[in-house]
Amino acid sequence: MRIKSSREAAMKAIIEAARLDGKIVVVSPDSVLAARAVPFLEEFPNRLIEVGIAEQSAVDIAAGLASTGMKPIVISYAGFLTMRACEMIRTFIAYPGLNVKLIGLNGGMLGGEREGVTHQFYEDVGILRSMPGVAIIAPADAQQAYLAAKEMLGITGPVYLRLGSGREPEVFEENTPFVFGKIREVKRYGDDLAIFASGFIMNRAIEALERLNMEGIGATLIDVPTIKPLDSKAVAEVLARTGRAVAVEDHNFFGGMSSAICEVACHYHPCHVRRLGLRDIYPRSGHADKLLDAYGLSVDDIVAAAKEIARH
Amino acid sequence: MATNTELYCMANRLRLDVVETVHAVGDGHPGPCMSIAEIIALLYFEEMRLNPAEPNWPERDRFILSKGHACPILYAALARKGYFPLEELKKLRMLEGMLQGHPDSNKTPGIDSVTGSLGNGVAIGLGMALGCRMQGVDNFVYVIVGDGEQQEGIIWEAAMSAAKHNAGNLIVFSDGNNNQSGGKVTELSSLYPLADKWSSFHWHVQSVDGHDIGALREAVAAAKAEKSRPSLIDCKTIKGKNIPYMENNNAWHKRTPTAEEVELARAALGGAL
Repeated sequence: MRIKSSREAAMKAIIEAARLDGKIVVVSPDSVLAARAVPFLEEFPNRLIEVGIAEQSAVDIAAGLASTGMKPIVISYAGFLTMRACEMIRTFIAYPGLNVKLIGLNGGMLGGEREGVTHQFYEDVGILRSMPGVAIIAPADAQQAYLAAKEMLGITGPVYLRLGSGREPEVFEENTPFVFGKIREVKRYGDDLAIFASGFIMNRAIEALERLNMEGIGATLIDVPTIKPLDSKAVAEVLARTGRAVAVEDHNFFGGMSSAICEVACHYHPCHVRRLGLRDIYPRSGHADKLLDAYGLSVDDIVAAAKEIARH
Repeated sequence: MATNTELYCMANRLRLDVVETVHAVGDGHPGPCMSIAEIIALLYFEEMRLNPAEPNWPERDRFILSKGHACPILYAALARKGYFPLEELKKLRMLEGMLQGHPDSNKTPGIDSVTGSLGNGVAIGLGMALGCRMQGVDNFVYVIVGDGEQQEGIIWEAAMSAAKHNAGNLIVFSDGNNNQSGGKVTELSSLYPLADKWSSFHWHVQSVDGHDIGALREAVAAAKAEKSRPSLIDCKTIKGKNIPYMENNNAWHKRTPTAEEVELARAALGGAL
């Protein structure tokens, strides 16, 4: 049966990998329940290192473990990892290039939704993107999260996997591939514009694509699951074809995927890019879908941005 | 086995290396090196199982200088241990050298962890201790923390975890010189009494004179014998120790000795040894 939660999906991949590799350990700053790691704990009780509610030391302990050849995975809420333990990630993992995997839960408004600003994280990608040496993956649904986690564990070096609340919509067919470091064309109705999207907001991008098509605007939807290293060449090729783009992400609109797309556009193919993300403000608690609608990430918003840019 | 006298001589030799190095390159933290000279001499020239020809030997003991700004004395010990030529010391903090302003495992053989951002050494050391234990490596992880840096909260996060994980292979020295960048530790915070704090975190705690090689030797033996708890060796030390114009003078936290001051240090340390 298909896994419906990004958190369970990633943990399934971790457990499968841990059965084959005795060096994989999970470091938990009291995140066993949030990370859906109870099955891991039951199967590998000696390979789950519980450190209590202490993200900074969790990251440093992972650095120490990795320096001895272990393969630690630190799982916590995205902001507690990337903000509270920001310097530990940068100086003790990214700089020495240690083989530590970081999994951030509650990425975006969608991830934190009703918990409010303290538990919604729309800065994580921007923070990590500014650090040399950390790969960043934002999968689009649970099945993609499973594949992404599997692939991540095969990479040597620091990787950050952005997960959500565990209540993500299914958007792709189950057999949809995940290839680290590559963008993927989801659907192409035409080259009037490109829509770049990443993460669990993909369902909205798909709906917008379909509506645009009904209204006579042929767009190409591109999934950007690896935000760093960005598949710049392929992004530039898409931009060369369409000449205009919309970029949609559940992240502040500074520093995230849409910024990365603009950086590529500036360098390789200057063109209009309209960005949809959180507009540099703090939102509030709310039901996930209502929250995204209220803060500029509705299907209507994507369609309107696409129409506006299509006129250029 | 090195005699206590040999180790005292080595501690002073390393001190002089620091003074000469900081003078030559015109930058660095000499004062904080002097309070840990005996600990470094004992660890590198007696206690630690190392192989300088193979710096990343998996079975080696690990060392983390959590108060990374005192790295000139660690670099001197590594050079004298044979990790790199002594001439490297003259390129400390320089673009063409391998010796960074703070310890850097990417660029310097013999350094087990990046440090210098204060407070991180105990947690990283705990990770190493657990990683070694999980892989069946029978070794010890040694960490030196400054007293001032124990104002960082992450020290106490790691202290709680280390006791919970029964990290008997983790041995931490607290360099209790009661000085930090901005003044006296006791004036800037209410950190002391330290030993009681670590005891209450369920650590095996011993308090010793950090400049007494014999006492340090005994404390390390007792710490190694304690298999179920991590150990804290609470060392009473003097910042700038053995160099009269530096002793307890916090102006030497970061300052370059003049040629004349180098000679004063040389005389105080017993000549070139």
